[in-house]
Amino acid sequence: MRFKIIAVAALALLAGCATPPPPEPGSAASKVVAMGPLKNIVVGAMRVARENGFMTVNVQLSNTLNSNKTFYYRFAWLGPEGFPVADEEVWKSMTMYGAQTSFIQAIAPTAKAVDFRLEIKTP
Amino acid sequence: MFARFSFIAVLALLASGCANTSPTLGSKNISYGDTKAVETVTNEFGSTDLQMIAESMTRSLAQSGIMQGRPVVQVYDVKNKTSEYIDTREITTSIKTQLMKSGVARFASDNTAMQSQVDQLKLQNQSGLYKKATVAKTGNMVAAKYRLEGSISSIVKRSSDYKDVFYKFSLQLIDVESGLAEWMDEKEIRKTTER
Repeated sequence: MRFKIIAVAALALLAGCATPPPPEPGSAASKVVAMGPLKNIVVGAMRVARENGFMTVNVQLSNTLNSNKTFYYRFAWLGPEGFPVADEEVWKSMTMYGAQTSFIQAIAPTAKAVDFRLEIKTP
Repeated sequence: MFARFSFIAVLALLASGCANTSPTLGSKNISYGDTKAVETVTNEFGSTDLQMIAESMTRSLAQSGIMQGRPVVQVYDVKNKTSEYIDTREITTSIKTQLMKSGVARFASDNTAMQSQVDQLKLQNQSGLYKKATVAKTGNMVAAKYRLEGSISSIVKRSSDYKDVFYKFSLQLIDVESGLAEWMDEKEIRKTTER
């Protein structure tokens, strides 16, 4: 009996420690590369369009805190083979007001870009 | 005899143990950093401002659709209307480089490069030093369809607790023939220091 309880507890612990399944390829979550856990910033819907041959991305972000929150972000632009097609972008700093929902927009540096990654970091 | 050998062996071991196994040389206080990092050392105009301005302007111009057919552009200096010293040529150089890399524009010799271009043409055509077949002919330079010019200005406010700097960078693309501004954009940056 005792062994069974220990086994069940161990299984429960293991299940709790299990890593969440990776995001589905092509989903919005698969485009986000968070450097560590995102504290109080939620990445929402992403819209992608192509304007005059250049990929344009619009990402919705929400601050779940009631106070201002600063975070850092940049985009990486990828070609059809998944390799970067441009130099690394400069990191940008953005401050969101308490409970604010806002958008960040980005334009690809070259028409060769067909995919992107949003790198994001909260201090 | 044995003691002497042991002493030399220990010395050799110690020396090899102290050898630098890392591909570095010099002081530990100096390090290379990320050139793309957000720089907030002071709130004067900095590398992040320069990079953000160049990136924002280039992307906006490339995506505007005005650069269809890779037109020839002449870049003029950005006027510095701030109270700081800013090497505005570096802003235009970055914009030019990024536009060139994105493949949307070609650039005519700008003000600073024009003298060298003229000197080289004169040298090739007038010195008699070069083979005729290899000499670049005069009268074939391509004139610019557009000129790109801009300005940067700032508003600085200070109180006992704060220093606030607001930068505004404006850039416009003007059709040389018609004189019409065909594209214009601006980038605003606010930097605040709390004392």
